[in-house]
Amino acid sequence: MTTEWNGQGLPPAAQARMERGRAGGPPASLFGISGQAALEACGFSVVGEVMGCIVEHIGFTGYGGCGWTPANYGGYGTPGMRGYGLGNQGNALGGSSMGSRIGVRSSSRGGNAAFAPYVDALYHGYDTAVLRMLLECRDLHGDGVVGVRLEQRHLGQDNREFIAVGTAVRSHGKTRPANLFSTTLPAHDVAKLLHGGWVPAAITIGISLSIRHDDWATIQQARTWAGNTEVSGFTELVHHVRQDARQQFARRTAAYGADGAIMSGMTLDIWDIEPGEGHRDHVAISFVEGTAIARFHRGAVAPTSSLLVLPMSDPPGTVSPGRKS
Amino acid sequence: MSSDTETDVASLGIPEDAMKRLAEMKPGQPGSLFTSDLSVNEFLLVREAGFRPLGLVLGSSIYHVGIQIGRWSKNMELDTLSQAMYHARELAMSRMEAEASALGADGIVGVRLDIEFKEFGNDLAEFIAVGTAVKADKEGNWKNNLGQPFTSDLSGQDFWTLVQAGYAPLGMVMGSCVYHIAHQGTLKAMGNVGKNVEIPTYTEALYDARELAMSRMQAEGEQLKAEGIVGVQLLSLAHKWGGHTTEFFAIGTAVRPLRADHQIAKPQLVLPLTD
Repeated sequence: MTTEWNGQGLPPAAQARMERGRAGGPPASLFGISGQAALEACGFSVVGEVMGCIVEHIGFTGYGGCGWTPANYGGYGTPGMRGYGLGNQGNALGGSSMGSRIGVRSSSRGGNAAFAPYVDALYHGYDTAVLRMLLECRDLHGDGVVGVRLEQRHLGQDNREFIAVGTAVRSHGKTRPANLFSTTLPAHDVAKLLHGGWVPAAITIGISLSIRHDDWATIQQARTWAGNTEVSGFTELVHHVRQDARQQFARRTAAYGADGAIMSGMTLDIWDIEPGEGHRDHVAISFVEGTAIARFHRGAVAPTSSLLVLPMSDPPGTVSPGRKS
Repeated sequence: MSSDTETDVASLGIPEDAMKRLAEMKPGQPGSLFTSDLSVNEFLLVREAGFRPLGLVLGSSIYHVGIQIGRWSKNMELDTLSQAMYHARELAMSRMEAEASALGADGIVGVRLDIEFKEFGNDLAEFIAVGTAVKADKEGNWKNNLGQPFTSDLSGQDFWTLVQAGYAPLGMVMGSCVYHIAHQGTLKAMGNVGKNVEIPTYTEALYDARELAMSRMQAEGEQLKAEGIVGVQLLSLAHKWGGHTTEFFAIGTAVRPLRADHQIAKPQLVLPLTD
């Protein structure tokens, strides 16, 4: 029972569920009872469970080369064949003294630099999933979505699903936000932030993929008998890719007009590729995820004042098994 | 009860002021905002303790750890490996501190120091230090006696409690010792078959290695003129060197007193009604 959908707005099935929700269907919530109570105490009510998803085919990753060409080392190679390792081995080794030419290339440089099309496709996937989720939230007259689960899965071949699922909430007040807010933080955390004078603004991500040629110095430092030494090339690569991902994360946070961001995760993967005979590069990808937050308390000091408590419950695992019922 | 909470919440401007803030949001300049990997609880407690997060800071080093083989039947420290662990951690920590200094930080809280041996190369490991650079709301001298921002691997909760109790962190101190534990000779092992006995060589080796790690940590604490070291962890890390070669690693936060008395409010006893 499917219809042809042109990819605009929401698919018909989602549209129908939103209409039922608006007509006064019971709101579903992904929070536990206590999470819901915590938000209710801050003046937010659940309006319904919302979801956004997109299946994307990423068939073109766009290897843009590591920037290393044999031409750097003495006139071999042609501009049209950049980075595909045409030079002979001796030539590459001879170039070690010119190591400064080897650098890190990042996806953020645009064009085809270091798999930029692939990273753009990832951004598009996550952004679209969140956007479609917010469309559902808008249809239910919510102000924002709390406790979002943001995931991607491989569906085989080059297809990937990006999915965002969360619970839409609406403020009891009269003011409506300019843009709907979204956060991966659970309901308890959002309630605590509100008590502390901060409001979540948006789910923020930063992705970077960088590539660096394994130059002579790198190969020497990573040899089994090299002794204790830092492998400066790899260090440069991981430093650069994290820096780039963090910068994009900060840039996106700033674009929302937020005051800061709480990161919920930062991952790094590094592996090698062999684009040509005797030519090896290392590739690293970094992914930063978090929530942009904005301050609304006006005083200089934080409005919270925590109380010291000593819980009378036994920490898990401390009660002897014999006493458990 | 419910009307009490409602006025209480309304006086904080929830939810009206929160929504007004979202209604007025305009794109800002990068650089004026902070990022942090603290949890919400930690973030709010660090704020409450009087500190402002400036940004996430990190330092990392991919390091090739050299090779040293211990004599088969001898208890010994493998100093090449100990040096590698020291040097690489130092590189990661100092790079993180440099990022914090560039932000004008008073200190770094919630530092995590991790080692990950990489799959793609032999004996290659990434040493990484990550934390959140903070600045005190009130002017004051928070830097340590070496003029660097303080570092602390305490959680936000522990940091809040430490400051409440009148102490300030000085810096993370650590001691490392990679030790090779002697193998037992066949004859000796045969002699112990079917008996319950202590193996003094092993006991002594473990004592030696741990004492070395702890005394090195204490020496670092003395350098910072610390009153004490809190939150010490004593870890045995096998990394990937096999059963007889282990890194003994002691790490903690050196502290100094902020005032003479260390009174802290009496905690309230609570019985949580959760599972």
